[in-house]
Parts: sequence; structure tokens; C-alpha cells
Amino acid sequence: MGLDVAALMGLFGLTGAFAVVGAVLAAWMAWRIVEKAGLPGWTGLGAVLLTLAVVSSIVPLILLWVFAFMRWPRDEPATAALGYGAPSGVPGPSPTPALAPPPKTLADRRGWRLTGSLPGGRGVAFAIDGSAAAYVLTGAPAAQAGELSLSDPSVGQPHARLLTAAGRLGLEDLGTPGGTFIDGARLLPEHGPRDISAARTIRLGSVELALSRA
Amino acid sequence: MTYIVASILGLGSLALLFLAIGHLLVALVLIIPTWRICTRAGFSGALSLFHLIPVIGWLIVMGILAFSTWPNGEASPGRR
Repeated sequence: MGLDVAALMGLFGLTGAFAVVGAVLAAWMAWRIVEKAGLPGWTGLGAVLLTLAVVSSIVPLILLWVFAFMRWPRDEPATAALGYGAPSGVPGPSPTPALAPPPKTLADRRGWRLTGSLPGGRGVAFAIDGSAAAYVLTGAPAAQAGELSLSDPSVGQPHARLLTAAGRLGLEDLGTPGGTFIDGARLLPEHGPRDISAARTIRLGSVELALSRA
Repeated sequence: MTYIVASILGLGSLALLFLAIGHLLVALVLIIPTWRICTRAGFSGALSLFHLIPVIGWLIVMGILAFSTWPNGEASPGRR
């Protein structure tokens, strides 16, 4: 009899331990997942706590469905009011509608520097002074003015477009398989041009470039 | 005696069948939104089929979504 009780207690102990570990893990992972979607992390934690507070209810299911079908801040076009338009003569996947100029211009009129190294060890540096409206980053040798060459197989031909407007710098992915990243976050063609004036690094394929003011 | 054993086995099988059907229904309700979350994140929707694994399936799906880089991009730290 004593053995049975001990076994039962052990089972309850194991179940309880699994439940606690599972709850802590769920809270941590929910925090990270909602943050990746652009929501504040505490909303994920709150959802798990709410689920624990209302045990065996339909609450977690409702929250899961809401999260799956809601509008994520990550997907909101952050560049809608940036004022970048598609420059003429520069290749791209689709024309970007010209937008109204920004209401205020920034006082900082310095240019930018893109520096990095190619996988072979060769250094690369570009100066973006804003004299042109757009620059094309390409893996092919630069054939015309405004083309910045990064001779690496992971860089598309062309790969991305840099846009300058009102003292700001934008980046637009042109839909290459290697991918374009801003500070580690993937930039997709449907995102359109993104303001990278305050970004630190951009990555084209496997080539990482540090961005700084000239 | 044989009749009783057969009845118990039959009832047990029936209970197991209902349990499996119930699990599949619950998993389906979880799989649909998870499929959408996975595809929006850039993963294959089939990842949500981990919900079919009893007890730890949800942990696997959440772990993948939480600790891997989303191919379709994540919100930049400034937006969080």
C-alpha cells in the first residue's frame, strides 16, 4: 500500500514538474515569438499567464487564432511616408509609387560610407554622397554610373537599390535569393524601400557591410 | 469469462478510438492557426503538424518559432 502511495506521489511530482517547466518554457517562447512579430513581449507572457489562470479553457485557442490572423506590426509598411520614389533608369522588380516629400528635412547632410570585406578577404568601401538619387548594388562588375559592384556569388545582379532623399538613405531589395538584411532583419521586395539612415549593418547575400556617416 | 475479456478489450479499443479522434480534433484546431503563423514567419506550414505529437508537439513548434531566425524577417529591435 505504501509503495502504491509513493508511486502515485512520484507520478504527481513528475507531472507537476513537467507542468512547471512547460509553463516557464511556454512563457519564454511566447515572449520571443510575439516580439519577432513586432508586438511587445509582455503580451505573449500575459497570454500564457492568462492561460494558466483560466486552466482548461478555450482561452489559449482564442489567443492563438487571434495572433495568427491579426495584423502584425512587423508587416506594416514602415516606409510609407519616407518620400522615396522609384528613380528612372534603375532596374527593379516593380515600380515604387512616388510619394510626397517628408514634412521635415534632417539637418545632417553628411553622406554615408559602406565598408566591409568580401569572402576572399578583399576589402570593399563605397561612399554614398547623395549626388545621385539611386545606386544599384550588384554582384556584376559596375558597368555604368550609380552601380556599386560586390563581386560575390551570393550577391544578385542586381541585388538591391540604395536610395537617397532629403538627407536620408533607403534600401530596397530587388528580390534575389541571397536575401537582403538590415541589422539582421530580412528585407523583402514587398517591403519596398526602408530607411536605413540609422542602421549599422546591411547584408547582401553573405556580404556584410557596415554603414557609417562619412 | 472469455466474453467478459472480449467485452473489456472491445470497450478499451473503443475508448482508445474516441481518444484518438478527440486528439485529432484538438490538433486540427491548433494546426490551422499555427500553419498560418509558420507561413507568415517564412517556414513551411507543415511544421504545424508537430501538433499531432501528443504532449510535447506544441513545445516543438513553439521552440522552432521562438529560437530560429524567421526567413520572412522579424521586427527590428526598434519596433519591439
